[in-house]
Amino acid sequence: MERSLAKSLQEYLRGIAGGLLFSLPLLYTMEVWWAGFITHPIRLLIYVLATFSLLLAYNRYAGLRRSAGALEVAIDSVEEMGLGLVIAAVMLWLLGQINAEMNLTEISGKIIVEAMTVAIGVSVGTAQLGGDGKEGDTGMQGEDAQPSSSPIPFLTDNQGDFGGQIAIALCGAVLFAANLAPTEEIIVIAIETPTARLLGLALLSILFAVLILFYSDFTGSQRFSQIRGIKNILFGAVVTYAIALVASAAILWFFGRFDNTTLFICLAQTVVLGVAATLGASAGRLLLQ
Amino acid sequence: MKKLEKNWLEWIVFAISLILVLFTLGYIVYDGATLGETPPNIELQLSQPQPQGDRFIIPVTAKNLGDATAETVQIEVTLNSGGKEAETSQFEIAFLPRYSTRRGWVIFQTDPRTVEQIQARVLGFEKP
Repeated sequence: MERSLAKSLQEYLRGIAGGLLFSLPLLYTMEVWWAGFITHPIRLLIYVLATFSLLLAYNRYAGLRRSAGALEVAIDSVEEMGLGLVIAAVMLWLLGQINAEMNLTEISGKIIVEAMTVAIGVSVGTAQLGGDGKEGDTGMQGEDAQPSSSPIPFLTDNQGDFGGQIAIALCGAVLFAANLAPTEEIIVIAIETPTARLLGLALLSILFAVLILFYSDFTGSQRFSQIRGIKNILFGAVVTYAIALVASAAILWFFGRFDNTTLFICLAQTVVLGVAATLGASAGRLLLQ
Repeated sequence: MKKLEKNWLEWIVFAISLILVLFTLGYIVYDGATLGETPPNIELQLSQPQPQGDRFIIPVTAKNLGDATAETVQIEVTLNSGGKEAETSQFEIAFLPRYSTRRGWVIFQTDPRTVEQIQARVLGFEKP
């Protein structure tokens, strides 16, 4: 059965609201505009493809129509990216960052860099901001929809949708970390902070992961809280932090923060950004599904 | 495969999105394939001096013909009279992306229309 026009229009508007909600800080950040024309095309291409993969994964495991066929997931991802491009273009124009006098490489670069986060925001917004979205569509009948009463060990290897958990955690990490990664502050903190305190930040991140996932009583966390066991907690925290570090490093690399930088400063930046990414990976993954 | 259930609005949004995404990917690939390795190459162009109150302004256009972005581009314009430097002015451009143009003005006390030669040059820039 086709959805009614009103319903699909509602979904798109929800997506647009979500896109702006999650990416507005980036649209208002100078460093991101600059990244648009500084970034080499090859790096830009990798960024677009990585975002598209993330969209596919998110739509597959947590999106509005998660049980839909592969083709429908791909179509949704293309639509989200298209909406992202349009929203980014309109916002950048309104903010005076693109105009007709500029060269095409500059305009397209700025739009593309901004559009990627907007697209993830659109995806999350469409799926999460709706009150009736989950029941209305085929969403919850999917094979990986678990009844919320049965406790599921978080991120344990015997679980069927381990890949899905990782995909959602990665989405949360990227969504949160992308807002901080392009700013100068990350490198300033990384350079100025003594090693001992960097270690403190790393431990804090892991502590947050444990608290949010197992003890916070966040929406959804009760699904894991019944099976605390030291092994599960340790496993969950380590995997979450690992995902956060990978996401941080990838975004920092894209924004050129690793170029001509010594390994230790790269690592320090990853740890500094990792705090935000861990919050995203743990809280985000509870809220995003 | 299950038949797709989409109404016309969804098909239109999808079609436009697909075009945008394919165009974007195509453009990036084209840009990457044609991008050379030349460093920033900045060309300056001076326009007609205009009097403004008790001073004179000259519009300067800077165009980067190289394949890389230049940061903090320092531009100096000198008025030469009788083989001597009469007056010097300068300004800075924060970012000059590849193939892009930025505009600025230099301001002088001396009337540029009375000097023999106006010289503009780029002092230097940073790699972002």
